[in-house]
Amino acid sequence: MTVADDLDPRNITVHDGPSPIATRRRSTELTLVVMAALITGAAYTIAALGTNSEIPPGIVVFVLILLGLLLSAHVVVRIVARGADGTLLPLAALLHGIGFVMITRLDDRLAGLQATWSLIAIVVFVLTLVFVQRATDLARYRWLLLFGGVGLLLLPMVPGFGSTINGARIWVSLGPINFQPGEFAKLALAVFFAAYLADRRELIAAKTWKVGPFHLPEPRDLAPIVVAWGFAVVVMVGQRDLGSSLLFFTLFVVMMWVATERIGYLIVGALLFAAAAAFAWTQFSHVQTRVDIWIDPWSRSLDSGYQIVQSLYGLSDGGLTGTGLGRGNPGQVPLAQNDFIFASIGEELGLVGASSVLMAYLLFIGAGLRIALRTERTFEKLLAVGLTTIVGVQAFIIIGGVIKLVPLTGITLPFVSYGGSSLVANYVLLALLIRLSDSSARRLGELPDDPTPSERFAAWRLSRRMRRRGTTDTPDGVPDGALAATATTLET
Amino acid sequence: MNRQIRQLALGLMACYVVLFVALNYWQVGRKEELDAQFDNTRSVLREFNKPRGPIVTADGIVAAFSEPTPPGETYDYRREYPTGELLADITGYFTFAFGSTQVERVYGDVLTGSTAAQQVRGLGDLLSGEFDNAGSVELAIRHDAQQAARFFLAGQPGSVVLMEPQTGAVRAMFSNPTYDPNTFVNADFEVAQEVITELQNEDGNPLLANAYQERYMPGSTFKVITTGIGLEAGVLTPETVFPNESQWVPPQTDDPIQNYNGSTCGGDMATVFARSCNIPFARTAIELGPDAMVEGVEAWGVGEEIPLDIPQSAASTFGTTDNLDQELPLLGIRGFGQSETQMVPLHMAMVASTVANGGFMMEPYVVETTYDSQGRVLDEADPTVWKNPLSPENALIMTEFMRGVAERGTASCCIALEGGIPVAAKTGTAELGLESNPDLSHAWIVAFAPADDPQYAVAVSLINVESTADVAATGGRLAGPIAKGLLDFMLTGPGAEADAANEPADLPGNADPEPGLESDG
Repeated sequence: MTVADDLDPRNITVHDGPSPIATRRRSTELTLVVMAALITGAAYTIAALGTNSEIPPGIVVFVLILLGLLLSAHVVVRIVARGADGTLLPLAALLHGIGFVMITRLDDRLAGLQATWSLIAIVVFVLTLVFVQRATDLARYRWLLLFGGVGLLLLPMVPGFGSTINGARIWVSLGPINFQPGEFAKLALAVFFAAYLADRRELIAAKTWKVGPFHLPEPRDLAPIVVAWGFAVVVMVGQRDLGSSLLFFTLFVVMMWVATERIGYLIVGALLFAAAAAFAWTQFSHVQTRVDIWIDPWSRSLDSGYQIVQSLYGLSDGGLTGTGLGRGNPGQVPLAQNDFIFASIGEELGLVGASSVLMAYLLFIGAGLRIALRTERTFEKLLAVGLTTIVGVQAFIIIGGVIKLVPLTGITLPFVSYGGSSLVANYVLLALLIRLSDSSARRLGELPDDPTPSERFAAWRLSRRMRRRGTTDTPDGVPDGALAATATTLET
Repeated sequence: MNRQIRQLALGLMACYVVLFVALNYWQVGRKEELDAQFDNTRSVLREFNKPRGPIVTADGIVAAFSEPTPPGETYDYRREYPTGELLADITGYFTFAFGSTQVERVYGDVLTGSTAAQQVRGLGDLLSGEFDNAGSVELAIRHDAQQAARFFLAGQPGSVVLMEPQTGAVRAMFSNPTYDPNTFVNADFEVAQEVITELQNEDGNPLLANAYQERYMPGSTFKVITTGIGLEAGVLTPETVFPNESQWVPPQTDDPIQNYNGSTCGGDMATVFARSCNIPFARTAIELGPDAMVEGVEAWGVGEEIPLDIPQSAASTFGTTDNLDQELPLLGIRGFGQSETQMVPLHMAMVASTVANGGFMMEPYVVETTYDSQGRVLDEADPTVWKNPLSPENALIMTEFMRGVAERGTASCCIALEGGIPVAAKTGTAELGLESNPDLSHAWIVAFAPADDPQYAVAVSLINVESTADVAATGGRLAGPIAKGLLDFMLTGPGAEADAANEPADLPGNADPEPGLESDG
């Protein structure tokens, strides 16, 4: 099929034809989403029984709203991304549900706020799926996303606008609403990296610049991405957001490694990290404190080590099967609903429950990386890798911190922790993964690759214009947007 | 790139496997160690937020109960002790920061409803909508008896123990000084810590019940044991006669042993027991020899922790026994309860009970019955013989000796009971022999009544009393009236009526706060 054929409006037909694979995936998703809702509803009931010895009066309403939200998300996926992997949304819903139950159990007031944020998150999820109909569309906005991401990162530094909470200047206050723009900056920068590396990966991998005995990539290929990355990491460190800077560092190194297929980037990344960590350790007292309480929290169990010591006591109190929802004392750990929510889960649901959460993240990572493997487009591959790495590494950093495996760096547990910006950003990430999954499924022929509404609109305008000119030759006066939108389906 | 993506998948999976292993390490591997950490308050906190049942005395007075706090308080419940210091040594306390003690500690499972039996029964109740599973504990202690004990002790440092010889049920056990748990149980950590530290540093450590957690030189009350051992060994009989002497030089020394106040004393067994001569018992102990004497006191439970049903009771001691055969004078002195011999006051009540109970020493208990949340009995005290150091015949002989003490001996001044109820007793005045204060003694009495049908045995110990020019600080004079007051209260006074009516009794009115101290000697 030539470009001219494809542009011929007569060839653009709507065929929402049946696809057994897509149907099966959506059935799976439906079943799993309902199960996640039922598990959440049951956990909610048990937690209320455990704390107040009474069945919550609004339980039926709660389950109905929960089901309503999840089912509407499912229905939207069914309409606009029916070929996507069927496990991502249920996994996110399960993690989100467990987190919501724990937050409710810890603090009723926060539960109301988190419920509002959940609603917003689902709406944003739907909007993302509707607006990003072709993942490749994102690649076109790489520079916009880069500068937008950097701007978001810098937003909390603006006087009178940003605010410092718990020692980290990563918040922006708009009236009563606090949010962390950094959560969205991560996504924007991940998209930028994926798009940039998809273009230049071969040039960077070629290493044509000789400096003494070393072969390095050409500076003009490497510079933009290194500058962007270095700037972001420095800003995050400056904002005392150690968790995010660590996550971002890892994300960058992983994407460079996957894109260039050169292990050297992992090694250089590890060396750089060691050097930066050593430097930070000698220069910043708050970094030293983190390391000290990692090595021996008990020596400071009444001040800086209190949180981690209490977290470990909670975990051990939970033991194998947990104290039971509502029966433990996770409130002993400061910020239990936030960074330390995993300790609350470990305390009340035990090793069994905590391992289930680990398993859910592993499955999510598996699904995300499978998307990266299935798609043949570099940009989509890298984006899927990046998004999956964000979730996988972020969960690892905070869980490892809470159980004293790695030094504690504050960061939210994706989908589980309390926090609106984090939740909304994670649902955007989920929507992007689902979109990527759907796109590759269509290209693999698992379901008909229907044009998206915007493509249909562009095609309609194009055909009208061509009819007016009375020609079927290559259109000269076609607006860039329409051409580009149509061309995306042809890119290989 | 797919190779790298697969490697990434493996790498992330490895990370999560490490997380899983680390979780196992904390939640299973080091669980016990972490749970036992001193600053780990999880288990206490869990208990603290559960409803906790009451502790009630045998006559139905609530000694401890929990009450829900208004919303917003740190803890869901407050623990209240309406009887204040009266029963603190029995109930113990239940605090968040400092754990729990005594009945609160041992019966914590019952009070929170977490014993296996309650859990099983609770399952049914859960289905029927009853969720509060908290059990309750009924003490053997009677509130009226305890009040009477405190009343007659009248603030003197010491203790009063009243028990039933046949069962071991402790009906009153009051120690002075003591403490009021209400002053710190519901307080903030800092306040509680301050109060507890202050109590610990106070004279006589009010947090320790001297009735069963301390031991003191018993003086002549120990002669009950020495005589008992002598009778059982056949060294003594009621017909044994001792020379009338004021001092006796035991083997291995030139230093003579003297009677109390250097008096001349002697005669048949009943007489030397009633007059509480020292020399005959020193002679008996030395005649028995170190081995028989040590074996004998062990038969009476000396050296073993008292098997009371609440924790940390002390053990009486006969002192070091390694070289006793080289130190026969010491053996003699210990034979009449001086030197290193130290007895727990509760143990002395058990000694009197043994004589009263035909030679059987029962295990003492302060908790009579435990109930589940529905008032069904979970467990009842089961009277158990602890020791049997005396044959029934010798117990009868001992009873006669002890009646002699009350009727014509060292206690005759002060223990004659209302209504002529026969009473058996033994006094003790343990001279501490301090150079700084040679007049300082512990004054003791053990007694039981009615002597022909014993219902109650009592042990009174007064710690560090000082003789004055007018009144010698002897067990008979000082401790005797307290024992009499309590026995009268229980046998013919309000306590007897209350016992019959099974309801709490009124205390004797505005009587002399130190009854009996005025009585002549």
